[in-house]
Amino acid sequence: MNRINQKLKEDKKLLSIYFTAGYPNIDDTTSIIQDLEKNGVDMIEIGLPFSDPLADGPTIQDSSTKALKNGMTTDVLFTQLKDIRKTVNIPLIIMGYFNPMFQYGIEAFCKKCQEIGIDGLIIPDLPVDVYHEEYQAIFEKYGLINVFLITPQTSDDRIRYIDSISNGFIYMVSSASTTGTQSGFGNEQTSYFKRIGKMNLNNPQIIGFGISNNQTFTQATQYAKGAIIGSAFVKHVTNEGIDTIGKFVDSICN
Amino acid sequence: MKLKVCGMKYQDNIQEVATLQPDYLGFIFYEQSARHFDAHRIPEISNTIKKTGVFVDADLDFVIKKISKHNLKAVQLHGNEAPEYCKQLRGKNIEIIKVFSIKNEFDFSVLKLYDDIVDYFLFDTKGKLPGGNGYVFDWTILNNYPSTIPFFLSGGIGLSQIDDINKFQKSEASKYCYALDVNSKFEIEPGLKNIEDLKKFKNNLTSKIMNYNVNEKGYYGEFGGAFIPEMLYPNVEELRQNYLKIMAEPDFKKEFNQLLKDYVGRPSPLYFAKRLSEKYNTKIYLKREDLNHTGAHKINNTIGQILMAQRLGKTRIIAETGAGQHGVATATVCALMGLECIVYMGEIDIARQAPNVARMKMLGARVVPALSGSRTLKDATNEAIRDWINNPVDTHYIIGSAIGPHPYPDMVTRFQAIVSEEIKWQLKEHEGRENPDYVVACIGGGSNAAGTYYHYLHEPDVGIIAVEAAGLGIESGESAATSVLGKEGIIHGCKTLLMQTNDGQITEPYSISAGLDYPGVGPMHAHLAKTGRAEFMSITDNDAMDAGLELSKLEGIIPAIETSHALAIFKYKTFRPEDVVVLNLSGRGDKDLQNYIDYFKI
Repeated sequence: MNRINQKLKEDKKLLSIYFTAGYPNIDDTTSIIQDLEKNGVDMIEIGLPFSDPLADGPTIQDSSTKALKNGMTTDVLFTQLKDIRKTVNIPLIIMGYFNPMFQYGIEAFCKKCQEIGIDGLIIPDLPVDVYHEEYQAIFEKYGLINVFLITPQTSDDRIRYIDSISNGFIYMVSSASTTGTQSGFGNEQTSYFKRIGKMNLNNPQIIGFGISNNQTFTQATQYAKGAIIGSAFVKHVTNEGIDTIGKFVDSICN
Repeated sequence: MKLKVCGMKYQDNIQEVATLQPDYLGFIFYEQSARHFDAHRIPEISNTIKKTGVFVDADLDFVIKKISKHNLKAVQLHGNEAPEYCKQLRGKNIEIIKVFSIKNEFDFSVLKLYDDIVDYFLFDTKGKLPGGNGYVFDWTILNNYPSTIPFFLSGGIGLSQIDDINKFQKSEASKYCYALDVNSKFEIEPGLKNIEDLKKFKNNLTSKIMNYNVNEKGYYGEFGGAFIPEMLYPNVEELRQNYLKIMAEPDFKKEFNQLLKDYVGRPSPLYFAKRLSEKYNTKIYLKREDLNHTGAHKINNTIGQILMAQRLGKTRIIAETGAGQHGVATATVCALMGLECIVYMGEIDIARQAPNVARMKMLGARVVPALSGSRTLKDATNEAIRDWINNPVDTHYIIGSAIGPHPYPDMVTRFQAIVSEEIKWQLKEHEGRENPDYVVACIGGGSNAAGTYYHYLHEPDVGIIAVEAAGLGIESGESAATSVLGKEGIIHGCKTLLMQTNDGQITEPYSISAGLDYPGVGPMHAHLAKTGRAEFMSITDNDAMDAGLELSKLEGIIPAIETSHALAIFKYKTFRPEDVVVLNLSGRGDKDLQNYIDYFKI
């Protein structure tokens, strides 16, 4: 069974952390992954940086620009991750925009992910219908779970459709926003969380965008299987480097 | 896809086939062939059809003599001509097509030797004779085609292959297929073509394949689509479901046309540029979009989109702008309608386009600097998209070019189509015919070009010329010539040709003209480039500036630097004296005065 599905079966609320590969330094990738696992994080999203990250706010934009300047590429990332499964067992997801993967070749990209032991992908600008028509068979051939986003504006019909195509979890974007722009959840969001909860979807939901501390993590996981933290973690590494990851994780969970 | 009819032999038959306007006609200069062309001359045919000489291991001198005698535009080499041989035909202003015959398998590695030497490959079925054997080879072999040089597909293609061709078109193997080459399956006897069958074939190709408009899924061939994050889906989907319906409403049409007339000042004149025409010995007409309110074609689209936004119940308008032309056109219509307007503009562009920033502010718009990336147009577009993600309910995004996720490229094209709609009746008044021989426009994202071409896309007798900015030169690393330097990729929500690194990171273009300084091109234009429907030319900064000055002196019209790129083609492309060339004078040069002053030290 895919490590993501296994993890989702565990009887606990999950913490997933996003980081930008190649940031702050080009060679930080494996040590960040190892430290996150060691400190009890449940899932990791490895951000493949892109020059034009449309769905991201300033924090992740800046880290992406810096990572690209540092020399991060798809090939470099794959080389860094070559032996990652010798040291960690945590579910690994690559999150990136479609064009770099498209240039690498979708099949070649998926094949490489399988070789390395990547469990899933999140590609915000690959729409569900294009995925379904053109790429689903390839992803499945290489045992990869593709994760789709829903937002407060997504209609019930479309959520049901996305649920039917998904085979891992659904990434619930907390509010209409780019990453790292919200702080705290109001009534509007909690009623959206409740609405989705009542839909009894086949796939569990994990909430992302706007989770930055213990309070928002606790709030979000009241309504969902887990929560994803991205910008807040990237900010932490920017300010404090990669040696105090344990401190960051503790501040979220406790 | 282009069509070549090969093995022409008889004078009357040649002229008859020429009336079908194939792209190439082939004449075989090989005595052993049953279709050997031995007549003294090729009869007069339209110069849009490329006369192609077919040779089999002929003496180079013989080939060169035939080229000049018959004014050939292409040579097709059917024997074992080595790369060295082909090389000697280069620089003769002629297309070189090298033929390879395929049986059940083919070692594609041999093609590499001909890279940078030939323009096209042609794949034929291996048989007893060089060509004309009438058998089809297994096209799936082309799945392994390792090159990016476009090719002709040949070998026994007839009416019965129409369905196979359609299937082939949709397969990966056809990615670089440029043309179909037909011969023996359309003959009454060797060398005598059956006009009715050819007509049927061509119509089938035209109706089933050669569609340059968007399809129901938002694609132009393989380009287009809507590659957007889920956060944008509801807005884009709302637009997609409603735009055609709204545009068809009588009340919408009436208001749109009224504003174009009374507010924009349409129709814009179609002006016969007498002195420019004399200089280049052809008939040049200028479509005066520069005379529109706000000084360019951009307003046609912003008027359309503001009316669209109102009908969708939107109260807040966002836009991106490079040089500020689209920003000004958007701020203008927002003022006209009393809607809130936010324009994203790269920090660097804000500094170098101060007058337009001031205009937008006077018109009541808020100008927000884009501080990310290279802080120019691409980044302004990113910021506008991010704004839309953050404001999904009350906001409409007025994209200024024929780019973005479907339905934007089609919607913008339809609003700009007024340009070619007017050219048609205006040219009829001037010349007694609606169709010119050529339409010419500059291309950044491509909205003025889309409008100029729209009503001529499916008129095969109208040549389409697209002019991109070469910047400091194609090879200089400082260029915006996307059709040459771009590869298929995804930018701002659509699949198109895009300048990028091997790793898929979008690169920074360069042009002296801010309006052409974009790393992509609209998906419709990518399709026109790929299919060969449009001829793409690229013009450097220097040539554009000279052409701008030339038009000022010859006609008393100072053009925008974007438009100057289009005007510069006359230096490089020779038209016949009787040709009618319509060029879209997309904008006026007021905004570029400082650039002209600095460049010419005026």
